[in-house]
Amino acid sequence: MTDSSQGKPNDITFTDVTRTFVRGDGQEVTAVDGVSAHIREGEFVCLVGPSGCGKTTLLQMVSGLLPTSGGAITVGAKQVTGPGPDRGVVFQKDSVFPWFRVIDNVEYGMKRRGVPAAERRDIANRYLELVSLSHVARAWPKELSGGMLKRVAIATVFANGSDVLLLDEPFAALDYVTKHQLHDVLLDLWRSTDAPRRTILFVTHDVDESLLLADRIIVIRDGRLVDDIAIDATRPRDVDTLTRPDMMTVKHKLLAHLGLEHGSRRSAAS
Amino acid sequence: MTRTAERWISLAVFVGLILFWQLLSRIYTAEIIPGVPLVPGWDVLVSRTFLSMADYWGGGLGVASVGEGAERSYAAAALSVVTHSWDTLLRLYVGLAIGAIGGTALGLAISWSVWSRRLIGLPMQLIQGLPLLAMVPLFQLWFGTYFIGKIAFIGYGVGVLFVAGTLNAVRNVPQIYIDNALTLGASKLEVYRTIIIPAIFPELRATILLSLGVAWATVIGAEYLGAQSGLGYILVYSQQYGYVDRMFFVALLFIVYASISYAVFNRVSARLTRWVPRASAPARVA
Amino acid sequence: MASDTSMIDGTTAVLPSRPRAADQRGVTVWATLRSFRIDIFGAIGLVLLVVFWWGLTFVVPRSSLPSPLNVFRRIADDFVVADMLSYYGLPETGLMGSMAYTAANVLIAVVVGGLIGTVLGLFAARVPVARAISDPILNTVGTIPILVMAPFFLIWFGTGRWSAVLLVTVYVLVILYLFAQRAAENLDPVYESSARTFGAGTGDILRDILIPGTLPQVLGGIRIALAGAWGLEAIAELLGAQQGIGKIIEVLAGSLDIEGIFAALLVLGIVAVIADWIAGALVRYVTRWSVSARVGTT
Repeated sequence: MTDSSQGKPNDITFTDVTRTFVRGDGQEVTAVDGVSAHIREGEFVCLVGPSGCGKTTLLQMVSGLLPTSGGAITVGAKQVTGPGPDRGVVFQKDSVFPWFRVIDNVEYGMKRRGVPAAERRDIANRYLELVSLSHVARAWPKELSGGMLKRVAIATVFANGSDVLLLDEPFAALDYVTKHQLHDVLLDLWRSTDAPRRTILFVTHDVDESLLLADRIIVIRDGRLVDDIAIDATRPRDVDTLTRPDMMTVKHKLLAHLGLEHGSRRSAAS
Repeated sequence: MTRTAERWISLAVFVGLILFWQLLSRIYTAEIIPGVPLVPGWDVLVSRTFLSMADYWGGGLGVASVGEGAERSYAAAALSVVTHSWDTLLRLYVGLAIGAIGGTALGLAISWSVWSRRLIGLPMQLIQGLPLLAMVPLFQLWFGTYFIGKIAFIGYGVGVLFVAGTLNAVRNVPQIYIDNALTLGASKLEVYRTIIIPAIFPELRATILLSLGVAWATVIGAEYLGAQSGLGYILVYSQQYGYVDRMFFVALLFIVYASISYAVFNRVSARLTRWVPRASAPARVA
Repeated sequence: MASDTSMIDGTTAVLPSRPRAADQRGVTVWATLRSFRIDIFGAIGLVLLVVFWWGLTFVVPRSSLPSPLNVFRRIADDFVVADMLSYYGLPETGLMGSMAYTAANVLIAVVVGGLIGTVLGLFAARVPVARAISDPILNTVGTIPILVMAPFFLIWFGTGRWSAVLLVTVYVLVILYLFAQRAAENLDPVYESSARTFGAGTGDILRDILIPGTLPQVLGGIRIALAGAWGLEAIAELLGAQQGIGKIIEVLAGSLDIEGIFAALLVLGIVAVIADWIAGALVRYVTRWSVSARVGTT
């Protein structure tokens, strides 16, 4: 936070980020290949790409759970060297600890940071209220459905006050209705919290999901950044927003990147 | 660390232990009784100790026993090891087979009706709760030290396990299979023959492996406390005279036989249940 | 209650409609207590078993099978002091005292063996080098029938309390090593990753993730080990001990007292079953959060 030219507290800078793996047969595979990008403070960015393209690897490197093989990732003024509470993660799998009650799960991050008990209970209760789960605060996670568990996970990272939120296909396993409810929950929390707004990096392979949520869509294919599209639509967005001509153009472009456009490649080129 | 590196370390640990034992036998040469080292090295085990197995040869096949005044010979020692091993293994596998077949049959019979299933619940818990190994003297009083007594004891221990395992397996057969067969017009007997018996096989895998452990424990327990032959008999007999080297020799035989039996059982049960989808194969064997 | 019913999925129905924490805790305790209840069919089955045994005594000679009534009377007579056994110079002749000695040994062995086995198992699951070293040793010990070690312990440590305790400890240790190792390997790595993103260190992960996450399987292992421990302790005492229920059985077997053996075995069996019930109820309560823990179904 010393140098304002090189970043506000919540922005993310990728500088030539590379990640290689050694496969079981000894072959070296490049999962992420020289990605450079800058994500501004308070931006909601979706990372889109076909499965196995390296988008999850990229997210894991921002979280610090996976080290980079080359290049650097900077969050705020600090280079990422490991996981930390400044970057909250919502995983695709259910990561809510089944052996803690719901409220204790929401408090977990704050507990690790040493927030006093009474204060963290207040904060946790407030966020459970915001995700409409106050009534199950003292329930065990096994008593909750998949959608409710995702709400707990979202409440947990928001309650922990992370500047940057990383979501790794969080709603991929949910049904259509639940997924859309959770989009609203996420957007409401993101927009309602006091400035400065949190930066969100959201990995998905669902084109419509990215169009509904993002300020900006970054397309990854074969480990490379192949497109970076700004979405110019006001919120709240709905089905009608998605059918607007400019949104349809973006959608065609994204589908082409995913290899799903057959006859109409020209729209992707436009 | 790769899988192969782990394998090499494991192998090195094994070799290291074997060498360490030999080294220890050289450094620590104390004798528990004259002529019997407290830490018998491998050289002692394969020569002097092996030869002493001739003491447990009863004679016959043209090889005279030590009891008849003959010198210890390698032929008598080899025959002794083979016959005592044969006795132990015969008891083990015959008892195991009888217990497995009898236990499964009884389990299936009990599972036939809801009433018998419910009535057997608590008594079964109590019978399973009776510590098996403590019952050796009881079987000895009933059957004496004969072969039949050992078989009965091992068969009982294994049988109890199989009754419980079969009841549990039958309960876990998905009702949808049974309903499906019933709607297709199968009788109860046909349901048992075509649905339940094939379906309990993978579930019984855990029981089969568990029963092997029980069979080993019971055969050794039975041989410790009342037998005139078998490896367990030699082990306890040697202990009473302080022949540590003979005890080690017999214990090594036990380790080899037990390891082989586990490997074979694993291989066979994996083959028998290879059609089972991985996820539903229960992995809860200790 | 929830402000927006459309957001609540079917599973909410599982929850009682009382959000009060105290009430929910009360429900759990009650369900745990209820799991103790003996169903009526089980009780009838038990009576039938005794009747069957009693019927057998008319067919089988009394020297082979004592009648249940005589065995129960014998338990009552010998419970505190057994006069018949006082000739053998045993420090403790009563069934209760002998049983207490045996139970204490089993308890020591289960606690010590359980702790060491669990720690080693968890350690081996997380540190590959440790695993490569401990796996060949403990897996070999795992395939050896533990009973093979009994004569060695008798020679090395004598016929006192500790050779029996050590035998049972090794048995419990090996089982718990395997259970804890498997539990740690089966634990979804997402929990550890998640904890790390909240800034948890190694100690936090051990306390908050690894130990609670493996607890259901570890306690399940303890229960299995406990069930086998009684017989092992008893036979260790049979082979050579100064006291304990196994020693009593050995002495009674020497005098062909089948009624006495039945009495001793029955006491041992009942204690083992009750210990298993208590352990089961404790496990269900401690791991009531676990999906596999079905509270209230026996």
